Order: sequence, then C-alpha cells, then structure tokens
Amino acid sequence: MALDVSFYWFYIVEEMKRGELLGSLEHIILLALVRLDGDTHGMIVRREIEERTGRNISIGAVYATLERLEAKRYISSFIGEPTPQRGGRAKRLFRVDAAGKRALEVSEQTIRSMTAGLKDRWRTI
Amino acid sequence: MSRSSPPAFACWLLESVLPDLYREAILGDLIEEYTLRTESTSRLTACLWFWSQTFRSVPSMVWSSLRSRDCLISVSIAVGVYIAMEILQYAANLSISKWVAPTPATYVVLAPIVFLTACAMGGCVAARIRTGATKFLALMVMTTVAVLIEQKACTIPVPWWYEFGFLTLGPLTVIITPTLFGRFKQQGAVT
Repeated sequence: MALDVSFYWFYIVEEMKRGELLGSLEHIILLALVRLDGDTHGMIVRREIEERTGRNISIGAVYATLERLEAKRYISSFIGEPTPQRGGRAKRLFRVDAAGKRALEVSEQTIRSMTAGLKDRWRTI
Repeated sequence: MSRSSPPAFACWLLESVLPDLYREAILGDLIEEYTLRTESTSRLTACLWFWSQTFRSVPSMVWSSLRSRDCLISVSIAVGVYIAMEILQYAANLSISKWVAPTPATYVVLAPIVFLTACAMGGCVAARIRTGATKFLALMVMTTVAVLIEQKACTIPVPWWYEFGFLTLGPLTVIITPTLFGRFKQQGAVT
C-alpha cells in the first residue's frame, strides 16, 4: 500500500494522439463520469475514484486529465452557479460525450482481447 | 481565519499558479471539500488535507499548462512586459544620472526604488493583460537578477542582503502588487 501511495503521489499522464488507447487515469476518469451519470464536477469525480479504488488522487491531476479529455472532445463542460459553500466560486460541470463513450468501448474491447486467455498464466507467475 | 476558511496562503499560491480556465472550479472544489471536512474532522486535519492537495495539484497543473498554447501566450506577454520594464528602468537610470549627482551612494539608494517600481508596474500590466503572465514575469526577473549577481554586475561594494533583496523582493513585487491593486479596486467598488 505504501508503494501505491508513493507511486500515485503525482499524476503526469502523457497526451495521446486521437484514436489511440486511453491512458490509465483518462480511462478511470471517463468511467467515473459514466458511473456518476450526469453533470458532475471535479471533486465528486476525485471522491468517486478514491472510494472505489482507494487511490488518493490530487484535484489538480483530475482537472489536468479532464482538460485533456475535453481537448480530445471526449467530454464537454459548462459553468454552474456559484455557491457560498464554495467561497462564491462557480462549479465547472462535466459530462461524457458520444466520442468519449466510443473511446471507452474501444479501450474496453482492446483490453478484453489482450487479456483473453491470460488468467491461467497469471496464476503460474 | 474562521473555522470554515481554508489556509489563505495556500489559496493565494493556487490562484497564482492555476490556469485561468480551471482556477475558479479547482479553488471552489477545494474550498467546498475543506468546509465539509472541517465539519466531520478537526480543523488541523482539514488544513493538512488542503495543503497536501495544493502541493500535489501544482505540478500537474503547471505541467498541463506548459504543454498547452495557453502557456506560450503567457510567456510571450511576460517577455513583452519584461522588455518594456527594462526600457523603463534604463530611461529612469539615465534621467537620474543626468539630474542627480551620480555618486555610488545615490545609486545604491535609488536603484532599488527604480527596480521595485518597474517590477510593480510590470506586474500590474502583465496581470491586466493575462493573470498567468505574472508568474513567468516573476521567474524572468528572478533569473536575470540571479545571473547579474553571479556575473558580479554591481561594481559598488554592497552587503549580501542588498543583492538578496533584489532577488526576492523583485519577483514578489511582480506577483503581489497586482493582487493588492485588485483588492483595493474591489474595496473601492464596494464603498
């Protein structure tokens, strides 16, 4: 666990060309957005990932990845209403677009085909 | 600092570093989560969480900003403002040497005033054009002063703290002046 924490201390994920596979954090964040089903903001995504995977990701890493996903047009965002709980600052709400769902499908298919028949080998390693 | 207000310095640090596009969203998210944490845990734990998020978020956001065109625009603005600052300083130094007796003592007293005034003006202009440009301008000022100290450009013998003052106060003036100016402006608008 200690190793995991030190490994995930900083997230710097390289940008990929369009059509390539999703990076691990991109994949996780897209899945979190689909799972949350609707317009959601960065902190909720961070919390969802932490609750489900135990990874304590920084909010900066989440937004840096969301920015890349938005640049690739996998997700879209819009500004919400500012609230007093947020010090009068507006939320930025994100939602998965059709291209994002397609990218997830392609990624899932690739991983499934690459891992097919490997379960027995893992047991022997 | 009230129970629900997050560490002011961490907020200032994030405001200075975060890109314009996500600044409001990230700070808002952190403040909201901090408020929730102060209700369920101690203020110290919530503060530590806020600081850890700040330190861990800065590298990701700086890296992300460096790879985007947003950063190039900010650097270009910083370079332009820096050139204007240097011209201003040169003109001020020239005028001073013409009108005031150019003794080493006069120069030692007037040089920091001219330098800090130019830094303050440069910071305000850069922030007015683009908030993100101030951090690059501060970095440029710091690098130039460090190089000048290393090259021993100052021929007049001065104590170490005099040069150290240029190295630290210059970049700080570039960053802090626009913030202070903005607050005065806001207060003026309210009253």
